Amino acid sequence: MCAETCIPQSGDFALNLPSQGSLAAHAARFTQALAAVPAPPPGATMSARVDGSALVFDIAGLPAAWRQQPLRLFAEQPGVIDHAAVAQLAWQGERLQVRQPLSAQRSESPTALQLVFTSPGQAVGVALAAPLAGGWPAATAQGNPAAVPAANDITTGTTPTGTAAAAATTPPVAPVGMAPPAADAAGSTTSPMLIVTLGLAFLGGLMLNLMPCVFPVLSLKVLGLTGQGADRRHMVAGGLAYTGGVLVSFLGLAGLLLLMRAGGAELGWGFQLQSPGFVALLALLFTLIGLNLSGVFCLSGVMPDRVCNARARQPLVDHGLTGVLAVLIASPCTAPFMGAALGVALAQPPLQALSVFAALGLGMAAPYLAVSCWPGLARLLPRPGAWMEQFKMLLAFPMYATVVWLLWVLGHQVGIDGAVALLGLLLLVAFAAWVLGSRALGLRARRGLGVVAMALLGMGLAWTWPALQSPAGQIQAGPMQPSPTLGQASARWQAWSPDVVARAQAEGRPVFVDFTAAWCVTCQFNKLGALSNAGLLADLDARQVLLLRADWTRRDATITQTLTALGRSGVPVYALYGPGQAQPRLLPEILTVARVREAIASWPTSSPSP
Amino acid sequence: MKHSLQRWSSLGVLAFGLGAAGLAQAQTQAQTAAMVGQPAPAFKLTDTAGKAVSLADFKGRHVVLEWVNPGCPYVQKHYDSGNMPATQKAARAKEVVWLAVSSTSRDAGDYKAPAELAGWLQGKGASPSATLMDDDGRVGRSYGARTTPHMYVIDPQGKLIYAGAIDSKPSSNPADIKAATNYINQALGEALAGKPVSKAVTQAYGCSIKYASGA
Repeated sequence: MCAETCIPQSGDFALNLPSQGSLAAHAARFTQALAAVPAPPPGATMSARVDGSALVFDIAGLPAAWRQQPLRLFAEQPGVIDHAAVAQLAWQGERLQVRQPLSAQRSESPTALQLVFTSPGQAVGVALAAPLAGGWPAATAQGNPAAVPAANDITTGTTPTGTAAAAATTPPVAPVGMAPPAADAAGSTTSPMLIVTLGLAFLGGLMLNLMPCVFPVLSLKVLGLTGQGADRRHMVAGGLAYTGGVLVSFLGLAGLLLLMRAGGAELGWGFQLQSPGFVALLALLFTLIGLNLSGVFCLSGVMPDRVCNARARQPLVDHGLTGVLAVLIASPCTAPFMGAALGVALAQPPLQALSVFAALGLGMAAPYLAVSCWPGLARLLPRPGAWMEQFKMLLAFPMYATVVWLLWVLGHQVGIDGAVALLGLLLLVAFAAWVLGSRALGLRARRGLGVVAMALLGMGLAWTWPALQSPAGQIQAGPMQPSPTLGQASARWQAWSPDVVARAQAEGRPVFVDFTAAWCVTCQFNKLGALSNAGLLADLDARQVLLLRADWTRRDATITQTLTALGRSGVPVYALYGPGQAQPRLLPEILTVARVREAIASWPTSSPSP
Repeated sequence: MKHSLQRWSSLGVLAFGLGAAGLAQAQTQAQTAAMVGQPAPAFKLTDTAGKAVSLADFKGRHVVLEWVNPGCPYVQKHYDSGNMPATQKAARAKEVVWLAVSSTSRDAGDYKAPAELAGWLQGKGASPSATLMDDDGRVGRSYGARTTPHMYVIDPQGKLIYAGAIDSKPSSNPADIKAATNYINQALGEALAGKPVSKAVTQAYGCSIKYASGA
């Protein structure tokens, strides 16, 4: 087009697209174009600083195929570097230091720098971003020497278009490629993204109310409000107390997680469910809630009178505790459904991470708070009546279903003996609850049976508890031997390890990795849905895609690290490595056959496909 | 191959004339020599009338340098609309020296000989103090001039106080001029009022200068 000089021109053009009718014929081209967009390579980090009249970038973790190559650098932002000058590359093993002269007439001072690197052997470039550590040096004296400081302030401060645009465009790229947040720049570059993340967390919290583990408890609580009468002040106070309970427990859980990570533990969100003890406790809790809903016992029968009075006198404490309970029973749902938001959150400095969890909590508490603040909303709900008793019993069944699922998870963690031990324990707990809480039993029968029930329960606990502890060796062995069910589910899935992926990539073979866990509901949904679709599996086979499954049911540091590098902290994560592509493409958490098909559409098939 | 031979031969000729050591330095430093806040690189060129003009002649006055190439649509945008001539006129009225510079190579398609260039400018109502021929591109390179137009302002002490674009709307559409901030008017206004230049470096926009190879 322009051999020597390109001269831009403008014009008005009209393109008519049919509003009905398919554009699918172009899908492959769109996919191709998207695949050609430079992306951050997983695990790569970069830092940037000014050294004299040059920018120095320290880069680590570029894919193996990129090492020792004569890379070329492109700045995404104008007005910063001397574009014509050739960058100096210094390779030290996998580490690369790049020195690029600054423009003598640098007009922009972005707080973060975005680069694209290309390599002669690679079709697609990689994008890296880093905040500028140490900031820009003070500008040289300009204009009137008498007003030097003022001049400097003005020059660095009034580059509105460039800097603002850079700040606004940096965040979406930043979390993966960015080095551990360096100094002052990090705060300002991440703030727009933080707002988006907070919004997502709030929405996620709202959705938690609809999860099968939370909905029954919460709907009863809301229905309770309608029966409470009209004392508005008490209702608002109750709503606030509930919100407080939710917030405190979310922050507590997040704080614990951050502390444990700071202590070096390789954990992600959902970490609680990797502990068999916690799973067993949850199963107990859900059984008790279910029994209560079924009417086997009522709480006032179990609790000594004094406690019941305290609850009545201190309704605020009661509301707060309901909030804590809601978070506790929501935890099996947060882990599988909020991988993305929490992944971003955990990569942030502690204060920002905690604010994300606070937003999540606020979102979860919002509906109840809204109903307690505006009683008008409560009036929209059905009138309380005898039907509520039946409704309660109906709601017991999701609780029992949750117990079944928790038992299945526990079975993967500690085997059949542990699962049966827990079942025995649940039976004893149910018996004890009936004996102590049923209003139908006479006093003498209750006393006699109560002693028996408590003794049995004590013995049962002593016997089963050790069986519920996962032997340390088994955790270590986790990644090596995928649990039998996940492994044998289909012979075409192999166990994941970074080496297997690297080998397949070296052969130019595409790879699909399913990061999953037995306790992850979404994972099971996808496994039984899209990933069991015979047509899709045939398509994958036709393209010789290597199917790998990474099982995170038990704690596994390698998987946690890989997830972190991908910008996630929970499962499911579906990573597609195209043929010859170093960085994977992540598929949505809710998989559909169409989405996977579309993602692999451009890949070559080995045999002519129908 | 041919390209680099040509490059090296012209380099050799120049080296002979100027002294090898100094030139090698000038070659590597050319792009980074002119910096806002530093003394502006000195030069001596011939204008379209054949008269020698030196930057040192204008010590004690503000000087505007404008890189020009009539073949460039961005230059045409600012001349056809009358924006550049008006800016020149306003500057001249304030006793500011305005030097238009052509660094276009003689080999380039849109090179204009001195008389032709002067005629074109006159036809557009331009009124620079002088129009200088920098056919070998050495002055352009020493200032780091990349585009036409590319603007510089030098203060009475010979210090560079502005480098960059003519205005804030980098387009070739004349309709954008109205809404744009004219950086030269702004810089001169501030400098003549004894104030620091608030926007001392901007992104120059326009056509790339067709420099002579190896200069």
